Amino acid sequence: MSAPSVLLVTRHAPYGASLARSALDAALAAAAFDRPPTLLFLGDGVLQLLPGQDASGIGTRSHRRVLDSLPLYGIDTLYVDSQALAGHDLTAADLPPGARPVDDAAIRALLAGHDHILGF
Amino acid sequence: MLPDSAFDKEGFLRELDDWSPAVAEQLAAAEGIALGAAHWEVIELLRDYYRQFESSPAMRPLVKYCALKLGPDKGKSIYLMSLFPGSPAKLGSKIAGLPKPDNCL
Amino acid sequence: MVLHTVNCPPSHPALGQCLRLLAPGDALLLLGDGVYAALAGSRAAAELAASGAALHVLDVDARAAGVLERLADGVSVCDDEGFVALTERYPRQQAWY
Repeated sequence: MSAPSVLLVTRHAPYGASLARSALDAALAAAAFDRPPTLLFLGDGVLQLLPGQDASGIGTRSHRRVLDSLPLYGIDTLYVDSQALAGHDLTAADLPPGARPVDDAAIRALLAGHDHILGF
Repeated sequence: MLPDSAFDKEGFLRELDDWSPAVAEQLAAAEGIALGAAHWEVIELLRDYYRQFESSPAMRPLVKYCALKLGPDKGKSIYLMSLFPGSPAKLGSKIAGLPKPDNCL
Repeated sequence: MVLHTVNCPPSHPALGQCLRLLAPGDALLLLGDGVYAALAGSRAAAELAASGAALHVLDVDARAAGVLERLADGVSVCDDEGFVALTERYPRQQAWY
């Protein structure tokens, strides 16, 4: 029996609350146990992907830079809400390599197609 | 030589900017390690990793990053263990003047 | 098939996201301030009805809000046991808050 698949849904901007950071911590923890989750950036969650983040002034790490390190932890499946991307005038060129924009039908399929959903 | 107050109770450097190769020698000596060229190569790599990702790597990403940057022969945990025995990610980060890696499960 | 839970009021963007992604065959449970989306005649209730998902409200929250008195057609009322039964029937859950 193969390991259960986990979809981690992250839907908040990176710095206003600790949810986005907690989602990353959960993803890294799962990856450390050889259960790398699929990540879905939904709604305001796509704002985590903005390039050019410099959080040194608010005393924390650039969220985008931590996201960029995910492939080294074995997490390489990133899906991004294309409607939210368009709403914030972001394009595929702004995304980390390997991140795939997906439409609503594809998001519904992701939600239904994983064994577990972890929401943040 | 930096005073003891420059380090936290686990021996990690408090201020990133205090680091220099001489400080690395001091940190390594405290761990009983004499730094050779192979050590320096990994220390530089750890500092590059930190500059790129703003975090110290856990073991698994460190191994992958080594494989990526230094080639498959050095991208092995056994190689890193031979340089920084015990916990290479933690010990290497310490000597490279970086914060203790979190997500070290 | 996914169980969605919503605990925020209808004006909250999370309800809009939920509506976008709700699929026929999914279930939706409204709780807390989420129960206002089940007000008969409201825009939110119409949009939910159009989703094709099975709609539920949590009884205590709907009663507290006065929504039970004017519940939209097609919304069923569930108690705590019903909530647990839903989570058993739908192993995948997405919470919108």
